[in-house]
Amino acid sequence: MMKKLFLILMVLVFPLASLAAGNEVYVFNWSEYIDPSVLKTFEKETGIKVRYSTYESNEAMFAKLKLVKKNGYDVAFPSTYFVERMRRYGMLKPLDRSMLPNMKNLNAKLLDKPYDPKNVYSLPYMWGSSAIGVNARYIKPSSVKSFNDLWNPAFKGKVLLMDDVRDAFAMSLRSLGFSGNDTDPAHIKAAYEKLLKLKPSVKVFNSDSPKQPFLNNEVYIGQIWGGEVYQASQENPNIVYIYPKEGATFWADNMVIPLSVRNIKNAHAFINFMMRPDIARKNCEYVGYATANAKAQALLDPKTRNHKAVYPDNRDLERGEFQADVGDAIAIYEKYWEMLKTR
Amino acid sequence: MEKKSGFRNVAVGSTLCWITLFVVIPYLIVVAYSFLTPDPSGTVSWIFTLDSYREIFSPVFLIVCKNSFALALSTTVLTLLAAYPFAFFLTRISESIRRTLILIMIIPFWTSSLIRTYALIILLKANGIVNTFLLSLGWIDEPLNLLYTQLAVFTGLVYTLLPFMILPLYASLQKLDTRLIEAARDLGATSPRIFFHIILPLTLPGIIAGSTMVFLPALGLFYIPDLLGGARSMLIGNFIKDQFLVAGNWPLGSSASVILTLLMFLLIAWYFLSSRKINQGDMREVI
Repeated sequence: MMKKLFLILMVLVFPLASLAAGNEVYVFNWSEYIDPSVLKTFEKETGIKVRYSTYESNEAMFAKLKLVKKNGYDVAFPSTYFVERMRRYGMLKPLDRSMLPNMKNLNAKLLDKPYDPKNVYSLPYMWGSSAIGVNARYIKPSSVKSFNDLWNPAFKGKVLLMDDVRDAFAMSLRSLGFSGNDTDPAHIKAAYEKLLKLKPSVKVFNSDSPKQPFLNNEVYIGQIWGGEVYQASQENPNIVYIYPKEGATFWADNMVIPLSVRNIKNAHAFINFMMRPDIARKNCEYVGYATANAKAQALLDPKTRNHKAVYPDNRDLERGEFQADVGDAIAIYEKYWEMLKTR
Repeated sequence: MEKKSGFRNVAVGSTLCWITLFVVIPYLIVVAYSFLTPDPSGTVSWIFTLDSYREIFSPVFLIVCKNSFALALSTTVLTLLAAYPFAFFLTRISESIRRTLILIMIIPFWTSSLIRTYALIILLKANGIVNTFLLSLGWIDEPLNLLYTQLAVFTGLVYTLLPFMILPLYASLQKLDTRLIEAARDLGATSPRIFFHIILPLTLPGIIAGSTMVFLPALGLFYIPDLLGGARSMLIGNFIKDQFLVAGNWPLGSSASVILTLLMFLLIAWYFLSSRKINQGDMREVI
């Protein structure tokens, strides 16, 4: 009897023990945000095994890192305004520059920003925008110039909206001439009332993979990320990206080391590897967001470098606005979002 | 003998440990969180309050509940209508065909329901298999609007939950004494009368068991309406997820979960009470 129990225990415990050992790096990244071959190259060159998991939103990543106090992830990729938040709550480890020689390859224009002065805690990975996607087979791209065009009754039942309270409201706020980071309750209410008028036109809310309803011919116009259009256009060149005259919403994602890091050396090794020009180039060409790596940008295939969805021109960049934390106002946003979804 | 009881202890003990560790303790944490104060850092502070229960009974949450219950109820009725004839048919065929049919019904459920939902998207999308087929036959001139409709949502939910209805129905239909039907027919009862006065009451335990097993998951399965219906309305599942991941109001999300569990508990209690009454033979008091 005891022998049997012992055997059962061994079977249960053994795999756990074998998991605990080993030279590994735990990476927590957005879904579809890396060229998978890059991870294989990293493993081959360094002998460090990559344990890779993904998330769909900054909030989900934040909640998970907040709960894990020890033996969590080695590297994460929060957006700028979440770097600020995590820094404020002491959830990040300062970076050790001596282990990050590839930092010199980064675009200096993207460094030392207010969300992390002197880049003590974070280094930029990629940046991009959310604007309008159009299927040129059904809608003439030159006829779409503003977020307000989504309200055109001709597109009824063919519109896609992000299934994300901040993204959807930012678009509506911009169309009214307000900031997408507005915290004024009256402005948020106005944006809600405007979205309510758009809802009958909306066929689908999707922010997991907004390119899919476009590729499935279910929607012809809608709110979408540049990288999604870049990926979709390789399958269907009719899907194009339009920066509206109100300006797109821009964001940047950054590599950080959470406080619950397991192996600080491997974490730095991974971040340093991601900043190598050939690796950053591979990632950029794969996912279709702009790389923060100046050396890699020069190496890019002209098809990627000149793709409007990846690299906007200066005018579109200036008209745009960076996404920022709205603090406690998120509760007001959520209240109106619930009302929008229950109407 | 000694060996047998040892195995029993291990089996029961490990199940109990598993349930305590992964069901009871997490649930107690949820109950505890529902009485705490939201913390601006995104989690909770340990200050006791009933605020989330005061906040939860808002008009929006009541609409969310109403939508979820209406969807779960319609799904249950549709699943019952689809499953009953099939289960009845299963009891009237040869053993070997029956086994094959049950196997065919079960095999798809070895795959994740999420993957099967994506497969439905491939079937229903505007340039999907159904539309391409109908277009190539020339029966339609432009793609039918199938995906992101109520029809798609119910197709997905009924398809996913069908076995949970068929199996209990089949079990109680199999126990049905066919001599009662023959006797009724000899005495001149019409087919509808036989069905409503004999078959239906005798299979009521199966109907109630199946309906409970379909209704409860249908309340929580928010990803099927999201993926197939276009996420145009909010269900309880979406509401709870948003409180945790968007609004950062964990106590409110927890209190919504507690209320949902209480409602489910009431339904299960009703199920046990009614099945006991059926066993005692008092049919009129059931509903």
